[in-house]
Amino acid sequence: MNSATTDEQTRTLHWQKVSSWALLYFVVHFSVRFIKDGLLNLLPMLVVFVTQVENKLFWAQVAGAIALVSLLVYSFLYFLNFRFCISDENEILLKKGVFKKERITLSFARVQNVNVAEPFYFIPVNLVNCIVDAAGSVSQEVVLPGLTKDYAQQIRKQIFAFKAQQQETKLDEQSETDITENSLRISNKEIAKFGLMSNMAILAIAALAPFINMLIDFLEKEIVSKVEGFYQQELGIMANAATFAMITLIAMLVLMAVMLSVTMSLIRFYNFELYFKGQKFKRIAGLLERHQLSMSMDKVQSIVIKQNLMGRILKRFTVECLQASSGGAIAGVAAKKNKQTLVLPVLSAEKVDSVCQWIYPWFNSKKLAFKRAERALLYKNLAFYALFPSALVFGFCFITETNSLISLGVLAVFSGLVILSYQRYGYYLHEDNGRFYMVVRKGMIGVHYRVFELYKAQSARGISTYLMRKSGLKSLYIQLASGFAFMPYIKQQDADFIIDFTIKQIESDTRSWM
Amino acid sequence: MFNNQQIMDLPKHSDISFKPLADKALLHTQLNWLAFYIPLIGVLIAVCYFNETFANNAQTYLLIGVPILVVISMLYNMLGIKLQGVAVRSHDIVFKKGIIWQQVTILPLARVQHIEIHRGPIERKLDLASLKLFSAGGVSADLQISGLTHDDCKNIRQFVQSYRQENTCPELEFADE
Repeated sequence: MNSATTDEQTRTLHWQKVSSWALLYFVVHFSVRFIKDGLLNLLPMLVVFVTQVENKLFWAQVAGAIALVSLLVYSFLYFLNFRFCISDENEILLKKGVFKKERITLSFARVQNVNVAEPFYFIPVNLVNCIVDAAGSVSQEVVLPGLTKDYAQQIRKQIFAFKAQQQETKLDEQSETDITENSLRISNKEIAKFGLMSNMAILAIAALAPFINMLIDFLEKEIVSKVEGFYQQELGIMANAATFAMITLIAMLVLMAVMLSVTMSLIRFYNFELYFKGQKFKRIAGLLERHQLSMSMDKVQSIVIKQNLMGRILKRFTVECLQASSGGAIAGVAAKKNKQTLVLPVLSAEKVDSVCQWIYPWFNSKKLAFKRAERALLYKNLAFYALFPSALVFGFCFITETNSLISLGVLAVFSGLVILSYQRYGYYLHEDNGRFYMVVRKGMIGVHYRVFELYKAQSARGISTYLMRKSGLKSLYIQLASGFAFMPYIKQQDADFIIDFTIKQIESDTRSWM
Repeated sequence: MFNNQQIMDLPKHSDISFKPLADKALLHTQLNWLAFYIPLIGVLIAVCYFNETFANNAQTYLLIGVPILVVISMLYNMLGIKLQGVAVRSHDIVFKKGIIWQQVTILPLARVQHIEIHRGPIERKLDLASLKLFSAGGVSADLQISGLTHDDCKNIRQFVQSYRQENTCPELEFADE
């Protein structure tokens, strides 16, 4: 403690306050947090309120007023206590908190990204938020709200200059003439297609899950009966009015979900601009908040190219550049939430190739000669996932004396899915200028490619059963800092070679993987 | 295109000779399973004692089934421990395990982010410990090795630490529980 104080005294720290407009950011930030995290916790109280309280409107107004005042007071106190400092020792220091005071020290060396976001409420006053991401074994984010654009850019430059100095040798290898800027713009019409491809509406529906019963009751009372009445009175349909009303309701709900998805996509990716220069991505997008994300290629652990069913119909892919998500699946979700993943939505096959070629000049999706899984995988999966379930269905049909042809239908559908999945599995190894890459493909109706450089792998594993060993087969599992690559049922000698070779790459390559 | 030429000096993990787990590892596993079975048997006896109908219907099956289950799991444990092995090479740690699905996992020391040594009450009594090695990105520990002696665990930890310092890797996190 003493040494820390002495240390602080010897250093000259210039603590700075953020602009008064930053209060707006804190109000919005805590409102969003309250809605996202707090409301679910207040659900039991809400249930008591709905079922027990008589004068609901009055008490709702009182509760709302208290919540609003508390929010404003808390945001104001938070703003008063918020101080930051860029120290001479290349650190960002932060003091914040109301009830629990926190002090954060973030070394420039640990910074992964510096993003400049321009929320809609800062546009009139020309201010931005500077978001500093640090990912290591503990995911961390520092947000400096309400800075001027120039100052945010200055901080960004300062951090990257420090990091560049650290990696000087690396930069020396790259001559200035090599640096060319590539760019990509995606029209908002295309972004709307991403809404159709993604399942963002499901997230909104999931949020409504606790209220689903109330919602169904409400829809039944308020909508279905009225639509039914409309069909009966206006169109003279009597017999099937209820069915028509239900179909209309379902169609409306689907349409609303689609519209919601499209809207959410537009909010996230509006006026999408992507630049790639000097091994660094810069993406600017967003409707309510112009979010600027910078990502160095060194930090990208793997690239995922995905196409789901809707993507196949629209002939579009989504590309994701993933960074390290230490701490498992939860941290992986957090990484996405923290916008550490660079998502490039709705790209045509040609654009996927051209974007991937910025990073991997050798990449050409049409020339990837995938080695497929051995046929034993197909036989095993047919037995386990098609024959076995259909035998169960047959048994069920036999006992309940229903039409046993259903089991044939189950067999046909499941066999089809198993065959599709088997055909998708494949891997491809590539050498380019002494660097080794792997592409792993999987999928069923859609397709999913993962591209990574072998030396970035974290660990490698071979898995085999007795029968697989008898047939000279092995499954391959490569753990990455962002997900994993799994290739089942390949020849044992190939799997062993890939494992040994990957390990050799990890152990002999002196480049930093993070 | 990748050219799969024969590399003569590529170390093959299939040639590794694994070191078996500590002598008391089997005893530890069996005791762990007994700690699960004894309360279960106790609950079944209590149910049979208080519920005569259940006892009349299930007693014979339980008297035959439970001992068979216990014997099968003991044999399974014996085989499981026999098939486990660990090897520490100059740049990585290799662990093999599994009866039905046999796995060989190789974790390069340069990728170890975090190490934990766990010692439960039975392990402390038997002077054993469990070692957990974490890399980045995994859902849980990349390597979880139970049934090593406490000294072996400490030596491996020391070895990993020295390796990381010599190779100027980022700082490693340690935990002892």
